[in-house]
Amino acid sequence: MSLIQEISDKLQGGKAKEVKILVQQALDEERDPKEILNEGLLNGMMAVGARFKNNEIFVPEVLVAARAMNAGLTILEPKLTEIGNEPVGKAVIGTVQGDLHDIGKNLVIMMLKGAGFEVCDLGVDVEPDTFIDKAEEFEADIICMSALLTTTMPKMKDCIERLQERDLRDKYIVMIGGAPVNESFAKQIEADYYTPDAASAAEVARKIMEEKKAHV
Amino acid sequence: MMKRNMTKWMQDKITASVKEAMPILSFPGIQLIGHTVEELVQDGHLQAMCMDAAAKHFQTAEAFGLMDLSVEAEAFGSPVKYSENEVPTVTAALVHDMREAEMLKVPEVGAKRTGQYIRAIKEASDLITDRPVLAGMIGPYSLAGRLLDMTEIMILCYEEPELVEKVLTKATEFLISYARAFKAAGADGIVIAEPAAGLLSPAMIGEFSTPYVRKIRDAVREDSFIVLYHNCGNVIPLLDNIREIEADGYSFGNAVDMEEVLRNMPKDSLIIGNIDPAGVLRNGTPELVREEVTALLQRCHGYPNFVISSGCDIPPGTPMQNMQALMEAAEEFYRKIEC
Repeated sequence: MSLIQEISDKLQGGKAKEVKILVQQALDEERDPKEILNEGLLNGMMAVGARFKNNEIFVPEVLVAARAMNAGLTILEPKLTEIGNEPVGKAVIGTVQGDLHDIGKNLVIMMLKGAGFEVCDLGVDVEPDTFIDKAEEFEADIICMSALLTTTMPKMKDCIERLQERDLRDKYIVMIGGAPVNESFAKQIEADYYTPDAASAAEVARKIMEEKKAHV
Repeated sequence: MMKRNMTKWMQDKITASVKEAMPILSFPGIQLIGHTVEELVQDGHLQAMCMDAAAKHFQTAEAFGLMDLSVEAEAFGSPVKYSENEVPTVTAALVHDMREAEMLKVPEVGAKRTGQYIRAIKEASDLITDRPVLAGMIGPYSLAGRLLDMTEIMILCYEEPELVEKVLTKATEFLISYARAFKAAGADGIVIAEPAAGLLSPAMIGEFSTPYVRKIRDAVREDSFIVLYHNCGNVIPLLDNIREIEADGYSFGNAVDMEEVLRNMPKDSLIIGNIDPAGVLRNGTPELVREEVTALLQRCHGYPNFVISSGCDIPPGTPMQNMQALMEAAEEFYRKIEC
């Protein structure tokens, strides 16, 4: 088994310590950092996403795999910065104002990172304007909002309205999700995308960036 | 007053050709008594008034106590955020390592708001006598998750299982005492809400949830006091394991296909669910509610142990006309098939 494949396999098994060691070893052997990233870490995380979507593995397995990915990234990131590696895209994500639930949001962050995105986690109870301010600061492509309470869902609409008022609506793709959220609600508030789970969110985000780059 | 034979009540429900709906209906009752959720969750008397008002308004098969999944964690010492119109939420982990897990004190029943919830059931049991009164309680894994952090616990199950087991043991010890207190207060049974376990793999639910739920069930279940299990997650891969609880009834959410659940669960236990509480009951129209209720009953009424219900606790702001639509659609369905 190649070293890169082993990184992917260990990541899928959630072996954070081993992933760290193997990524360092790959760097020491002067392997291309982009190859370590794409074929090792991101490939492993994509496989995790596919298996999660097929109900072969469950949320805890995704979490430990993501932790292993993050462990590998801490070793790799300085090298990636040195060579000027660009992420697939950038996203800000948070749970909306008044809502403290974060499991779904955390899963989406992991899957987005696994798809090659740079992600800014805004946490929970995030005000509508904060999503926009941070998106501006971070130079995001996508604003992702999560809600688990029916009473906090309207905050998603508030954020979209604030984007319009600030003349920034066309600058950002808005993606929404969460247990009480659905396609019909997304249409109603004119969000760009609703996704039912973290794996779909990452897939859609990736497609968005492919389309965006195709039109540049 | 003589205790109701709940084993017989369950059997009667299963054999009945006409079945009253069993929605998990408690919080929307605030609209009938003119109080906020924030007031309700801190006052057992108001809760009993709320349950009584809901029971007078809707001819449900049972009266459910509030499903407030912050009460037990708060009793342990977790910080909680209150909102005027939303169920309280735990805001931070209480236990971060084994040392803190070992020092974690199991609270007395009555600590913080648990006393109010016991009071609510005592008063509700006196007020509501035409149907069973079921108390709501969090499940052990879901409680441990609130104490350890809901995301972190899943990682800890892999990396520090002994830490999770230490917290689970203390959580279960408290929950058994709490369930016994509900029984002594006059409840006809409890609903153990274990939604967080719906995220686990079959192996993990078998290690970190089911055995602890089973301990609670074994400690309190008797003919006059039944145990229902609620899990609104994607439980299809977990049913083999969930069956081992041997609960009297199971409440499932709209994440699953109810017919598939019914095919795979014991025929002598009540299976209730699974109208979408948010998308349909809270945010839908009465017409949508009727459609969904009728469609579900058409698919599932052939299973004698199926009773229509909501997929989870119905949100506080759910319009009364939507609840009315649910009840009327169920009544109408059974009336038609009787003819």
